[in-house]
Amino acid sequence: MNGTVEILGFTREAAWLPWAVQYFFLVGISAAAFFLSLPGLVFGRASWTALSRQALLAALVCGLTAPVALLSDLHQPGRFLNFYLHPNLRSWMAWGSFFIPLYLGGLLLYAWLCLRPRLAALAQSEPGVRLAAVYRALAYGGHDNRTAVRLAAVVTALGAVLILVYTGMEVMVIRARPLWHTPLLPLLFAATALAGGLGMTALFAAVTRQDATAPLLNRWIAASQWLLLALVVAWLVSGLAGVSAAAAEALDSVSGSAGWAMTLAWLVGSALLTLWIARRRPRSLLFAALLALHGAWAFRWVLFMGGQAIPKMGAAFRAYSLTPTPDSLIGIAGTAGLFLAIYIGLTSFIPWDEPARA
Amino acid sequence: MKDQPRASRRAFLAALPVVTAGLATPAAQAGQPQPHWGMLIDTRRCIGCQACTMGCAMENALPEGQFRTTVATYAVTSGSGRVGVGVAMVPRTCNHCDEPPCIPVCPVGATFKREDGTVLVDGEKCVGCAYCVQACPYEARFVNHDTGKADKCTFCSHRVDAGLLPACVETCVGGARIFGNLNDPGSEISRRIKAAEGRTSVLKPEAGSKPNVFYIGLDRELDGRVTGESAAEMTWRPGQPSHGA
Repeated sequence: MNGTVEILGFTREAAWLPWAVQYFFLVGISAAAFFLSLPGLVFGRASWTALSRQALLAALVCGLTAPVALLSDLHQPGRFLNFYLHPNLRSWMAWGSFFIPLYLGGLLLYAWLCLRPRLAALAQSEPGVRLAAVYRALAYGGHDNRTAVRLAAVVTALGAVLILVYTGMEVMVIRARPLWHTPLLPLLFAATALAGGLGMTALFAAVTRQDATAPLLNRWIAASQWLLLALVVAWLVSGLAGVSAAAAEALDSVSGSAGWAMTLAWLVGSALLTLWIARRRPRSLLFAALLALHGAWAFRWVLFMGGQAIPKMGAAFRAYSLTPTPDSLIGIAGTAGLFLAIYIGLTSFIPWDEPARA
Repeated sequence: MKDQPRASRRAFLAALPVVTAGLATPAAQAGQPQPHWGMLIDTRRCIGCQACTMGCAMENALPEGQFRTTVATYAVTSGSGRVGVGVAMVPRTCNHCDEPPCIPVCPVGATFKREDGTVLVDGEKCVGCAYCVQACPYEARFVNHDTGKADKCTFCSHRVDAGLLPACVETCVGGARIFGNLNDPGSEISRRIKAAEGRTSVLKPEAGSKPNVFYIGLDRELDGRVTGESAAEMTWRPGQPSHGA
């Protein structure tokens, strides 16, 4: 039995910074929230209408914030042009650069088509007010074209599915990081995105006191936590039983680490607590919303920042520490600030707590 | 006239770079097949002095604290009584793989493999997304703090193209690094690999990336992620949280 001590080792710092966590968190929420908008705004399910309006708002706010975090991670935002000038179509990231505008373009069109009648109503209800002209221009006749809404929803749904697939596959294909290299990863991303989308929708509903949406949202939040727990258990079993070599290697690389044991316990514990709150207090929105959002964010933080701390070579771990710099704490605060600004802008201009269809 | 160097001394000094370049002879000879550059690292000759690490950093003007090549040092004990302590060195660099995992993931095709086997990054295309950094199984890549772009060992292609040896090879005190043309059976690297009679190995062979950096005397337990303790983990570093397994 040999024993080894690394006397002098070299570790690489995390290459994907908190920007990446923010992007994957926000774009996943946006895609999931878009799907939550469909029952009320496209399929005409009355019980979903209020929830779907808040979900559309969540999809827009998160969808518009996410690409900014992604561009910031390029160190020089203008470099994004190279994605379109020199695309390497063997790379999932290259495909992502096409899926993002498809999704966001579809989402903006879909939101506009949903809001057109409401914008026209606003233009008429506020004659003489300066904004009336803006509402009138934006409404562009205010026609409630259900066929157009459905077509835009189909395009956006395609974009949202592609966003969820590419974000999961982009990370999953990296064999060099066993923690990431599992076929369950895209499903885990989708499940946490669903939880985050529900959480953000519930948070927006809580802020605007739309408590009537609580039972439905809590049912779905509970379901998302069951799904998440099932997937985490499946990953653990696949590693412990040796079904997945990558999962087994990932578990082996952190075995004996009190920090990682606590992290896993934290993630599972927070999912169980979210589940318990959602079932125990079905008419309350805030706690379940915040817990669901916490779970979605924590999962990505642990996966990205924790995953990069595990050495590929040598023995030394290199944990990421938050610092008051633009690519760390200030970046996270800046993304939150942009998120808040877009939320305030959209909610100041359009009253989302009233029916979107005039 | 007395102060003027003699013509023979001047000629000697002028000819010196040509002589060293000639000795290095990695450049392709006219009419010979395309070279395929590779490196052989004889760990038995490495003394862990980090001359290669610093030589590379100087040659390639790397930012402080970032390295294209490093030498990790391990204390290996055998037996439960902690007897038979040995020190092992593992020089690491980009392996210029034949199946490089960094190339297909690059979203803009900035990473490419030259015909001579060298894997390079086109700085004009690179967007600094660090996808290649994640995909490399050997931690050979990093995002350069000065350029914000992917950086890695180039086998000192600017030197090799001029007929010189890579800086790490040139600076190696013990002659542990041998660089040359793997396509040439007469090259030193080919002769040394042949002489090793199959006792060469590569880092992380299970990665399937077919490295072109070969090792002699590399302990199997040290060719990838090392199960063991890190002195860095055991050292209290003020201001930096402890972590790891």
